[in-house]
Amino acid sequence: MSGSMYKLTEEGKNYLENGLPEANLAESLRGPMKIEDLKARIENFGIALQWAKKKRWIRLESGKLFLVRKTRHIPEHDALKRLSEGKQVDGKMIDLLLKRKLIYMEREDVVKKAEKMLGKEILNLPPELIKTGMWRRVKIKPYNVRVTGKKIYPGKRQPYKHFLSEVRQRLVELGFMEMMGPMIETEFWNFDALYQAQNHPSRDWAQTYTLKHPKYGKLPGRGVVSRVKAAHENGWKTGSTGWGYRWDIKKASQLMPRAHTTASSARTLANLPEIPGKYFAISRCFRPDVIDATHGVEFNQMEGIVIDKSLTFREMLGTLKMFAMEIGGAKKFRFYADYYPFTEPSVQISIKHPEMGWIELAGAGIFRPELTEPLGVKEPVIAWGLGIDRLAMFKLNIKDIRELFSKNLDWLRNQRMLI
Amino acid sequence: MVEKPKDVDIGGKMPTIEVSHQDLCRLVGKSIPINKLKEEGILFAKGEIDEAKGDLLKIDIKDTNRPDLWSTEGIAREIKGRYVSGGLPRYKTKKSGIVVKVDKGLKGIRPFTVCAVVKNLKIYDHSLSQLIQLQEKVSVTFGRNRKEVAIGVYDLNRIKPPIRFTTVKPDGIKFIPLEFRKALTPRQILKEHPKGREFGYLLEALPEYPMFIDSAEEVLSIPPIINSEYTGKVTKETKDVFIECSGFNLKFLIPALNVMVAALSDRGGDIERVRVVYPGRVLETPELEPKAFELNLEYLNTVSGLDLSIERACRLLNQARYEAKPSGKRIKLLYPAYRQDIMHQRDVVEDVLISYGYNKIEAVIPKLATVGSQNPIESFSSTVSDIMAGLGLQEVLSYILTNKKNLFEKMNLREGGSVEIENIVSANWSVFRTWLLPSLLEFLSRNKHVEYPQGIFEIGDVVNLDNREETKTKDTRKMAVALTDNVVGYEDISSVLDSLLRSLGTEYKLNRIEHPSFIRGRVAGIFVRGRKIGFVGEINPLVLEKWDLEKPVVGLELDLQGLVS
Repeated sequence: MSGSMYKLTEEGKNYLENGLPEANLAESLRGPMKIEDLKARIENFGIALQWAKKKRWIRLESGKLFLVRKTRHIPEHDALKRLSEGKQVDGKMIDLLLKRKLIYMEREDVVKKAEKMLGKEILNLPPELIKTGMWRRVKIKPYNVRVTGKKIYPGKRQPYKHFLSEVRQRLVELGFMEMMGPMIETEFWNFDALYQAQNHPSRDWAQTYTLKHPKYGKLPGRGVVSRVKAAHENGWKTGSTGWGYRWDIKKASQLMPRAHTTASSARTLANLPEIPGKYFAISRCFRPDVIDATHGVEFNQMEGIVIDKSLTFREMLGTLKMFAMEIGGAKKFRFYADYYPFTEPSVQISIKHPEMGWIELAGAGIFRPELTEPLGVKEPVIAWGLGIDRLAMFKLNIKDIRELFSKNLDWLRNQRMLI
Repeated sequence: MVEKPKDVDIGGKMPTIEVSHQDLCRLVGKSIPINKLKEEGILFAKGEIDEAKGDLLKIDIKDTNRPDLWSTEGIAREIKGRYVSGGLPRYKTKKSGIVVKVDKGLKGIRPFTVCAVVKNLKIYDHSLSQLIQLQEKVSVTFGRNRKEVAIGVYDLNRIKPPIRFTTVKPDGIKFIPLEFRKALTPRQILKEHPKGREFGYLLEALPEYPMFIDSAEEVLSIPPIINSEYTGKVTKETKDVFIECSGFNLKFLIPALNVMVAALSDRGGDIERVRVVYPGRVLETPELEPKAFELNLEYLNTVSGLDLSIERACRLLNQARYEAKPSGKRIKLLYPAYRQDIMHQRDVVEDVLISYGYNKIEAVIPKLATVGSQNPIESFSSTVSDIMAGLGLQEVLSYILTNKKNLFEKMNLREGGSVEIENIVSANWSVFRTWLLPSLLEFLSRNKHVEYPQGIFEIGDVVNLDNREETKTKDTRKMAVALTDNVVGYEDISSVLDSLLRSLGTEYKLNRIEHPSFIRGRVAGIFVRGRKIGFVGEINPLVLEKWDLEKPVVGLELDLQGLVS
């Protein structure tokens, strides 16, 4: 084998596959034909005409082409075929093909590099062998294909955040609009506007965080504040007795880390919500719990409201049924009477989990009139909340709630995606 | 059944009580199989059977505002109303002739008490354990862990009335506290008795402690800590008891006392009234006259979505232990004095629905034409996460709470302003993070043994002080990235930044800035539309040392809100 090596150009490859243009032209001529008619039918017509004439296969007479001699054997085509298979071709033909730019000479160093590998058993398949076609003349060593390569880690979403994105998406599909609220809230929005009495145990220092700094926030306009105050003290115009104590405005303006997402619902209600309206929020909440397998430093809550004049207790049950089916993926569910300070009546739904048995999924209630009316809402409002952290633990097969915020890179890298 | 998730547990911790199945059926007056109880019966008492082991039932009562349900007697009342006979339970009382005199010195210490006597008890195992359990649940859950309500039960026959509710110096009278053998001063009890150690914080700071003491100078108790061994021990031999509830607000004390005496009366005890004499005021307790209320039928049907006739509604209310009588389109109601939760017609509606049975009502999914949408910053965050994951980075999630050391000192920064928690659980979680990179460095410091290279990012909120805001704080959505390996440099992290911002079609400029967390001359500010929205650079080795990191780290932090607005 000499040091030179010829390879087909794109044009050469095209002719090898589709035939040389002059041959295609000769074949198309069944009788005398007009140049214009053939032009459209033959690819590279100019080249075809030039070479067919040169080879005296055709002649041109008054704008028409006549076939002079039919040819079966086209040496250029054979040569292209041989070269493509790495076989030899004589020097005159090489010159002709080079002149017609159907082949080019491979670089000497490439050929030399490839030649060195001939007859050997190789591990990697180098570009030189592929370029020169000489791969045909080497042995490629078989591998143990049962072994996979080095572990690689794709960039991935954090599993819990990914889960929350999916739930968020699902709620949007169910027609809910997302609410946002600040992480640091006034007690007014976190409690008072929700008709939670100022001496309610959930406002105790053991149940909620208080701030060293900053201490007090601004309250909304006087109208809302005085109506909320009246609702607490004497029920305002809601037909309620109220809690019957002296409401303290200073306590209401104290700032605190949001203890539940319901604070956002209160703000939404006070801010002229759309009616009918469906709202949701997924947000980080803070309570001073001692940290263990069921209590993290922080937790996420998913809550929302449904507002319309047509809503009754039956729609409240229906809202939970929808979550059981759409978010919990459950077919069997059961309702229990429940208690929340700001809803009445209240309900909890449990769903049948194939492995875990009955689990509590969500709670709901109709907001008390002492809550909605002072905020300016006359229509019934269904409030619902879903144990999103626990649902995530089931879906992600996590036993310890702290793993939702895992600091273990290995675990995160190897965690499977939710499907 | 798993513990009630705290993320929907907004009403406070619900009480779990232990009940004997046999004892419950005896009080109901009918034998009810456990299955039937589980499926239906217990729901009438807002309960759920958590566990059934032989005769012992563990029941969660899902209402933290109904202390009357937190005992076998209370559960039995509700079930009896539905299965045997309903209507208002009546409680008769007569005078006991016993007087409790309240000293004015209790003002600011523990100013109020209400008391009762119950006689002719036949105390046996179940009734004794129920009495103790109810006393415990009422004072913990309803009484705010004895702060608002502490309950004492005493053997009446060991007391010589009249009784004084007075104050005592911490080193005053010695007496033998319950379950002890030697006499201690109140101060010693706070230090040495288990209950003293548990509840002592409620008295500690006071100059004097509250005390019940009889005319023979025999101590009954120092509420809310402990009874005396002599008078304050109730056993199966006890026939007559004296009960007191002490605290700060009669609104809590009166229902607590009523719940206690109603339960004892349901077991056959005879209730007698006690005169509680305050300076300038006399209360005669317990006061068990039923209370009156009204329910509008139309309101009931509007809220419930049921089309109930007035007769049906009355029947359901009678089952719920009301006395209900139609009066035109309204229902006149009497309800028992142990209930303190009824403020509005709504509260009565729920009782009708419980009698009807939540699970017998057809659940209707609301068909409302609404358009759903995510908050724009959430969908933007999602897009950015996808791009970052596409760059091969692992997303992580950290707590928002952290500490000043992590935010400032370990980042080689002077302490800046931050939102600080007062009643911290742990110093580790005492302030809100003001930026994200410290969270990522902490993450890396915990994964030094894990395969390199490591590339992580986090998208999350930070909180900064801002006096212009209503809440004096402002939340900002940020993103931070950190890369680490044996060899890693500025070009690695700036190319991550560049790919992100090019993918978002955002034009930006990098300008040299000074930032103590980064190596001088290897940190740039990220400027978009002339505004600085973040920084990118190589972490200062001084910072690496503080985090105990041994390989170079490069990082960036970006204000995502600043990118969109």
